[in-house]
Amino acid sequence: MKRAVALFGLFTFVLLGAWSLSFAQAPAIENELYLITPVSKDVHDPMLKAFAAWAKKKYNVDVKTSAIPKGTPVAYGQILEWRGKPQADVFWGGEGTLFDNLAAEGLLEQIQLPKAAWDEIPASIGTPVPLPMKDPKKFWVGTTLEPYGIIYQPKLLKRLGVEIKTWDDLLNPKLKGQIAQCTPDRSSSSHASYEVVLQTYGWEKGWEWLTKLAANTGIFSARSRDVPSVVAKGEFAVGFAVPSYMAFAEVLGGYDVNFVYPKNAYVTPEPMAVLKGAPHTKAGHAFIEFCLSEEGQLLLSGLGVYPITPKFKVKGPEGSNQEKAVAFTGGMRSFFDTEIGNVYDDKIAGEKKRIEDVNSYFRKEIAEKHKDIVK
Amino acid sequence: MTTHTATLPAPAKVKAANGIHIGGLLGYGAIWAFMIVFLIYPLLHLFYDAFTTDAGEFTLSNFQDFFTDRYYLKSLLNSLLLGVGTVITTSIIGITFAFLLLRYEFPGRGLFSYLSIVPMIMPPLVGVMGFVFILGRAGTVNVILMDYLGFTKPINFMYGIQGVLIVETLHLFPLMTLSIVDAMGKISPSLDEAAESVGSRGLRKFWDITFPLTTPGYVSGALLVFIWTFADFATPLVVGVDDLLASQAYLNIVQFVDRRLFKMGIVISAIMVILAILFLIVAKKYVAIKDYSSLSYSVIERKQIGPGAKVGVVLFLGLIIILAFIPYLGIALDSFGKGWALTPIPVKYTLQYFERVAFETPKFIINSLLYAGISVLICIVVGVPLAWVGARTKLPGREFLDSMTTLILALPGTGIGIAYMRAFREPLPYVDVAFIGMWMVIPVVLGVRRLPYTVRGTFASLQIVHKSFEEAGESVGATKMTTFKDITLPLIWKGVLVGSLYSFILALQEASATLLLVVPGHEMMTVGIFNFYIGGSVNEAAALGLILIVLGAACLFIINRVAGTKMGGVFG
Repeated sequence: MKRAVALFGLFTFVLLGAWSLSFAQAPAIENELYLITPVSKDVHDPMLKAFAAWAKKKYNVDVKTSAIPKGTPVAYGQILEWRGKPQADVFWGGEGTLFDNLAAEGLLEQIQLPKAAWDEIPASIGTPVPLPMKDPKKFWVGTTLEPYGIIYQPKLLKRLGVEIKTWDDLLNPKLKGQIAQCTPDRSSSSHASYEVVLQTYGWEKGWEWLTKLAANTGIFSARSRDVPSVVAKGEFAVGFAVPSYMAFAEVLGGYDVNFVYPKNAYVTPEPMAVLKGAPHTKAGHAFIEFCLSEEGQLLLSGLGVYPITPKFKVKGPEGSNQEKAVAFTGGMRSFFDTEIGNVYDDKIAGEKKRIEDVNSYFRKEIAEKHKDIVK
Repeated sequence: MTTHTATLPAPAKVKAANGIHIGGLLGYGAIWAFMIVFLIYPLLHLFYDAFTTDAGEFTLSNFQDFFTDRYYLKSLLNSLLLGVGTVITTSIIGITFAFLLLRYEFPGRGLFSYLSIVPMIMPPLVGVMGFVFILGRAGTVNVILMDYLGFTKPINFMYGIQGVLIVETLHLFPLMTLSIVDAMGKISPSLDEAAESVGSRGLRKFWDITFPLTTPGYVSGALLVFIWTFADFATPLVVGVDDLLASQAYLNIVQFVDRRLFKMGIVISAIMVILAILFLIVAKKYVAIKDYSSLSYSVIERKQIGPGAKVGVVLFLGLIIILAFIPYLGIALDSFGKGWALTPIPVKYTLQYFERVAFETPKFIINSLLYAGISVLICIVVGVPLAWVGARTKLPGREFLDSMTTLILALPGTGIGIAYMRAFREPLPYVDVAFIGMWMVIPVVLGVRRLPYTVRGTFASLQIVHKSFEEAGESVGATKMTTFKDITLPLIWKGVLVGSLYSFILALQEASATLLLVVPGHEMMTVGIFNFYIGGSVNEAAALGLILIVLGAACLFIINRVAGTKMGGVFG
């Protein structure tokens, strides 16, 4: 009998609890969040997990998160294809120019950050050409910084008797068939790096350079994230246009790879934006807030990318991932400590026609003729 | 309910046509509705898109662009050559396997017969990953050659069209074996004896009896191998081959930036579908027009061979099986090995990848089982009646339905995926969500794509159950329903089960339509594998792949137990 009473009591208690909960304030954010992103799992996964914990603390909401991993151009196209009825809430990563285009199409919501947080992020970075780190019209905001550089497998390079310090070292004939790269029409890191070469040397000379690179290229991979994978495995010795954090992720995964940050390599602010008409826009805005918070920036700095503001530095206890990342990229703790070289002009590179020109030149003159170029 | 007893000795044909009552007709209508909405309409939409401009005006310029572009034409030629090449290599291996297994007695025959089907259990991407781990430039074989045998350069097994050929051959030869085994199993020994009694032996007998009777099986197997290779885009992408039609379709579609390229992706898909239909029409001459049903599978007498020949046979079969199992070895090693690079086998081992894919994100496994399960229900609900209509009635339109089912087999998954993307993107009334935004789209597309296996499995069993059995039942006064329940069903349930299990395995492994149609938050294992792989988590992809392989092997084992190896007919 006593047990029955106790059980009944417990039952009522649970019921009352559930009832009172249902009368509690409607939660401030939705309980789901979907990303569409070229930022690889190495970074977006830990960020989503940490966000879920952060949202639980701050809003007492259990957010179910998920990511649609897509290359930047693909994600961009998918968002256009959704025509204002997106199946994802937040678009993260790539180049600012594509975000500008989406904003012009009316597919983005304005960022709802507190003014202080917004103002902390510098407007641009790099000399002689400044690279924007946020949209003055507030449709997107940079979240973190990282260069698109070169990854290599030290054991294989040693065997080949090659050293790599600069872009031009990639043209060494000894590297024939040893370079992995993604095509500029599938990967924005590749595209941006092609632009760096084209804007450094000019259109004609630039393509000459890129054709020589193609002559050393053993594989054009399906996605940019494949490039560090195949280099880490030792299938190919060198990877072109690889975001630093992807290389670092391979190190954390137990592979032996090195990274080179060559002069004037493209630095991405990994823009982030909330999609207009998305199913969970409030959660989307909360995610942006989280990414730019101290907690978010600290977490990012342990994943091989750099803080977006001068306020934070990559720093951690000895043996931490932060310190490993610093050692991996040659001792740099912040992008704001040194002069960052940049020749990539987004006004030139961002033009729709220019993007198509670069892609179709690549397709006609390099991809379709690759077998002859290699000969 | 109208019942037709056999008081009048009406011919079977007429009876069958009249024997369908209203409910049956409604059911028949429902099957038609399903096929129209989920197969015909999307395909028509795909053609509509291919033949119109973005503004909706009719144009042939898309096709003109395709047929004047040297690169696309080269891709088309490469795809055709690769398809033919794979048919040749799989024929050599598959037919040899079938003959040895059927005609000769040697140790381990039963084991080989099971092992020879296993390579089919290989989700897209997983197979080629496994091959690269072992045969890649830094794969086990090349590392051994270079570190221990003094080679200065790795042998390029994988990167190029030869790599695709290796992967497809060792993956698909079982289809050929199954088709041949099935076809030969249906040849009644009495035919053989009859031939021999009139002095026809050896080549002559083969030419007159065996060859014509196995041709339909062979052609359907060849067609399947051809289409499979023709439509596969995952394998070529991993080994860096872009100049194939399927790769071009996929690459053009998944990039949305350039609208013209996107359109070309649609056009290429449409061309692939048109080609698939053409191949089917050509092959149709051989497939499914003659009635080869006999009352039972024949028992083939196996010949004893000498000890030397036995060793030879076992060595040959063993070698092929070992080659075909290379990807399993690679996948297993990589799913347990940490930081495996440039050593023959991993030096460090861990369970962390399994922990991640099975416990941290179990959604892939759960979704896979759930969606494949629902799709099999769809297959059974639509497919069993469809097969019955085809085998036992003369209803108008049944031949068309039969062609549709066969067509599904030949349709490239990329084509269906893209057709769905285009056809179902408008928001539905009331719910305001497009069908491609709902998770139901995945089981539906899987159900459609795997329907033929259930239909064929059921159909094959219905053919084996000779009509005379049912006629016997009806002649003593049983209704059609009773006949079906008491005579047909007990005799065909195995066929239905086996067909459904094949549908299930292949639904689990589907990764072309589902990759294009994936609904966020509802990813299946194959999508998980793809996402892990392109997300750089190759080890997790391997771990998930291994789980999928084990699931598939378990299903196959059950099939084997239920039906022996006699169910090749589902692939016809």
